[in-house]
Parts: sequence; structure tokens; C-alpha cells
Amino acid sequence: MDAFLLGASEVLSFSTLIMMFFGAIAGIVAAAIPGFTVTMAIVLTLPLTFALPPLQGVSVMLSVYVGGYTGGLISAALLGIPGTPSALATTFDAYPMARKGEPGRALSLGVWASFFGTLISTAVLIVAAPPLAVFAVKLGPWEYFSLIVFALTIVASLVGHSLQRGLISALVGLAIATIGTDPMMGRPRFDMGIDALRAGLPFLVVLIGIYAISQLASEVEDPKSIKTGEKLIKGEIKFNNLSVMREVLMRPVNLIRSSMIGVAIGALPGAGGSIANLIAYDQAKRASKTPEAFGTGTPEGVIASESGNSATAGGGLIPMISLGIPGSAVDAILLAALMVHGISIGPRLIMDNPDLVYGMFVAMAVSSLMMLLVCVVSMRAFLRVAEVPKWVIVPTVLVCCIVGTFALNNRVSDLSLLIAIGVFGYAMKALDYPLAPLVLAVILGPIAETNLRRALMTNNDWSLFVTRPVSLIFLVAALLSIAWAIRGFLKNKPSIPQTKDHS
Amino acid sequence: MSEERDQMLTQQAGEIARLLSYVALLAVSISMFLEARTIPTSRFEALGAGAFPMLVHALLSLLLISAIIGAVRRIPTEAYPRFASQVVMWVQARRLVLLMFLCLIVYVTAMPMIGYPITTLIFLLVLLLTLSPRTKAAVALSVVLALVFSYGLNWLFAEVFNVFLPRGR
Repeated sequence: MDAFLLGASEVLSFSTLIMMFFGAIAGIVAAAIPGFTVTMAIVLTLPLTFALPPLQGVSVMLSVYVGGYTGGLISAALLGIPGTPSALATTFDAYPMARKGEPGRALSLGVWASFFGTLISTAVLIVAAPPLAVFAVKLGPWEYFSLIVFALTIVASLVGHSLQRGLISALVGLAIATIGTDPMMGRPRFDMGIDALRAGLPFLVVLIGIYAISQLASEVEDPKSIKTGEKLIKGEIKFNNLSVMREVLMRPVNLIRSSMIGVAIGALPGAGGSIANLIAYDQAKRASKTPEAFGTGTPEGVIASESGNSATAGGGLIPMISLGIPGSAVDAILLAALMVHGISIGPRLIMDNPDLVYGMFVAMAVSSLMMLLVCVVSMRAFLRVAEVPKWVIVPTVLVCCIVGTFALNNRVSDLSLLIAIGVFGYAMKALDYPLAPLVLAVILGPIAETNLRRALMTNNDWSLFVTRPVSLIFLVAALLSIAWAIRGFLKNKPSIPQTKDHS
Repeated sequence: MSEERDQMLTQQAGEIARLLSYVALLAVSISMFLEARTIPTSRFEALGAGAFPMLVHALLSLLLISAIIGAVRRIPTEAYPRFASQVVMWVQARRLVLLMFLCLIVYVTAMPMIGYPITTLIFLLVLLLTLSPRTKAAVALSVVLALVFSYGLNWLFAEVFNVFLPRGR
């Protein structure tokens, strides 16, 4: 209780609240810009939090995180462009609703659904994280290795058009992670005599290069669209918040189901909001009495997608706090922020730093309130951001990425790495390889290697990976996720002979 | 009908491009596997520093070989002669992306020598003026943005965050 009060008092201090308020604005604005993901917003926020105390820094980043999940809905609803990958399913119904002359209702529905989704996920986080952490302390390197194998197979099988390319992408990520000194004995590997590679590829540089640079390059693919800065938002923006809040609360089953899907998927390392919104939408459609209304502007669809993606914010923190494993790329950056402040990450986090963990729970709830406040008060002003043309966004965000990368380590050589990784990421994207498995593999690779080697140092018996029950469960789950994905691809094969080609 | 044919041709070109990527990745993977074998093992542990990379590259190579076999089976022989011209068309359509990467390479190479503010100012002016519509307002906005994100950001980082961006030699 003392730790809870200590954490809460730090989060609820005036200076933290002010910074969180600006963080929520930054998250919403950033995610409202097409091509600027929540991940990028968090990456750019990270260097700004270095000077703050750990809890304050993480609270600000959480407010950007929660704001970002909501901001993606602005361009999704008004322009039909998902501001972030997590707002993809929002475009299915919010955009038709806005086109029918109800842009205000579409936005308000999304905002309230996001708010309740975050609150539900925070409640689950508070209940689930501590017991899971106690359980996690009992896990050995065998279980951790198997868990990472499971995380990589599930993200490879859920993302993209091809399981094979998903797995290739994950293995390429693991291969990238092996460059530089090995994590156990410090022996140099694959550095080709290049100084910049000696310490390995910093994962944040990989993250910015793969996601941001390749995404911005994709934005300038069509010369015609970039040269026309025409206004796409039409129609009067009207808000009636109370009636919309009632509308959301009148669908409790959809709201709770979608939020729980968001929490569950967020808690699986590697999945995250970009998948949760699609699965929540799919489940809402299956359960609906009027599935034919989905895709034409039904509120059910907007609520499912937005509560689903916002709930992943809390869900993602469950493995991060209890196991020390990031649920998504954003959680990995939060993890990095804690590591920068010298806090050791892992199952002991909640025992060694309870005030920090409880403070994070409070920060989640406060962030969702901040987001709601900011959206309700100033949605009209945010609409201007969605109108910023691509020719302004691409060069300026590129410069922000360059500055952000340099500021991470004050190293110019990181910039060359960034460009090389950006070109590689763009090529992978153009060839229709999913990027999420690659980035997560770069993050999880050293953890997997350390645990594999530690397991065999403890006991030189490979069979322990399948004789220890929890490890066996994860490995069986990994196999099942691949089998399930193969079944899905085979089932869909005859119906989609001509898949969309990005090359 | 012709739209369907175009889509099919694009898909085949994509398959060939992916096949080439599988071959390139396989070559890199095999060479890294061989290099990993030369990393000495430690007497303190059963697995050495090269074991995990060998495991990864063995799995990756197997997956790539199966992908290559699948792709070769799927691609009709008449698709290969068309590929070169389709690549040229693809590159031409993405000239702005190439320009962007070219500007980035020059920018990052010049930055340590000339310094952040000047290189950023030139980089932003070139890119903004290339991408923007040809209007006076767009040119004026480009100049303002270039100044804010070069000298403005340099000042902000130096004075507020105590992070000194490259000053040049």
C-alpha cells in the first residue's frame, strides 16, 4: 500500500501531470499524422525523458502511448488512412460513418471506446501483473527461451500475407541480433572489422530505420499524390459527447469482449495493437446479429476496433512488468527507458521497485483521462494536423528521425547504420516481408541466446526443454500457432489467388 | 481483362524479385553460418558464441531453400525475360523514393564535415522544394520549415536538452 501511495504521489504531482498532458497531446498529434506511428512518437519522446526521474519519464511516455493509440483514429475516421497500423480496422466503419456526414460521431465513438478500453486493460493489469510476476520468478532459462520461440512464431504467423516470409523475417531479425559481441562471453562476431558494428546494432536504430525511414519512403512513392495538397476533410464536425458515451456503454458485451481481446493479444509478446484491432473487429462481426452492417458505418465496428487497440496498451505492460519481455515494439522502448535509468528489468522489477510499478498503473489510468480531456476539448484543433500535406511531413520527420538517432548515443556512425537499415527495411517492405517479426526478433534475439546458453550451462541436457511442463506448453503453443497459420493460409488460398503485390 | 493481365504480370515480377531476395539472403546466411563455425568455443559452456548464430542460419537457410523451390515452381518461364523491363518501370515509378534515399546518403555523409545546421538546411530545402507543389506559399513555407528544423532544432537541443548535434570540422 505504501508503495502504491508513493508511486501515485509521484505521478499525481503537478509537474508530472503537466508533462503527461503535453505527452498526451504529442501522442494524439503524432498518431494523427499518417505515416507517423505510435512507435515513432515514443522513439522521439525517449531522448527527452533522459533527464527526468524514472517514473516521471515512463509516465510521460505512457501518456504519449495512450494518446497515440487514440490519435490514429483521427486520420482513420476522417481520411480513411489509418494514422497508425493499430487503427486499420477503425477505417472499416468510422470512415464510412464520417463520409455519411457524421464525422463528429465517428470520432467521439472512437475516443470513448478508447477511454473505456484503456481503463479495462488497466484494471486487468493491476489484477494480473503481480501474481504473474510471482509465477515468473520460478521460471528458468528453459521456459524463457521457449516463450521467446512462441512469441516469434505467433507474430510471424499473425502478421503479413505469408507465414514463410514471416518466419524468414523473424530469422533475419535474429541474425541481425547476433552481429556484434556475444551476450555471454563478449566474443566479437560478424563485425567485418567495422567499428560501428563492433558493439552490435542498437535496436532503437534498427527500429527507427525499419519502421520510420521505410514508412516515410513509402509515403513518397506516388509523385502525383504528394504534389497535391488538397483538403480531404469535408462535413461539419459536431460532438455530442454524453449521448455518444451512452451509446458506447449501451454495448457492454462488445466493449468488454474487444477490450479483453486487446489485453490478451497485448500480453502476448510480439503481437500488439496492430493485430488486436483486427481480431476484435472480426469477433464483433461474428457475434453481431447484423454482420452485414459491418463495413457500412456501424458504431459496433468502431467500438470494437478502438477499444481493442487501446486495451493492448495495458495488456502489453503485463509481460513487460512481470516477465521483463516487451509485448510490442513500444513496450520495448519503455523497457529501454527504464534501463537507461539503471533499473534492472525482469521478474524482480515489481519486487525491487514496487513504487515504480504501481506508479505506472496509476499513470495508465491518468493517461487515459488526459487523452479523453484533450480529445473532448480540442478535437477541432487536432483536425488541422491531419490536413498537413505529405510533402511537409516526410522531410521534417526524416530530420526528426536523424536527430533522434544521433541523440541516442551521440554517434555519427549510427546515422549511416540508420540509412542502411532504412534502405533494407524499404526493400523488405516492397518485397512484402512483414517487418514486425524482424524488429521483435532483433529485440528478443539476445534474450533468447542468453537463456539458451544459460540453460545448457546449468544442465547439458537438451531434453529439459520438453520435459519441463511450462517450457513444453510454450513450445507446443509455438507449433500450434504455426499449424494454425498454415491451416488458415491453405483455407484462404483458393479464394485469394491474386493477393495485392507491393513490389 | 487487360487490368487482370497487368495485375498477373506485376505479381509474377514480384515473385521473381522475391526469388532473387531469397537467393541473396541464402548466400549471406550460408556465408555467416560458415563464419560462425570458425568462432572458438569456450571451455566454460557447452555452446560457444557461434552456436546460436549457426542454429539461426541453419534454420534460415532451410526456410530459404524451401522458399526458392516453391517460387521456382510457381513462376512460369515466360515471366523471366519480361523481368528486366518491369524492374526499370518499377524504379522509374519510384524516382522520388530513390531521390529521397540519395539525399539522405549525401546528408549523412556531409554532416560530420559541414555540421548539422547547414547540411540540414540544404537537405530540407532540396527535399521540400522537390516534393512541394509549385506555389509561392509552398516555397515560403519550405524556407521557414528548413530554418526551424535546422538552426531552430540545433538551438533547442543545445540549450534545452544539452545535446550537441554535429558541428562540423
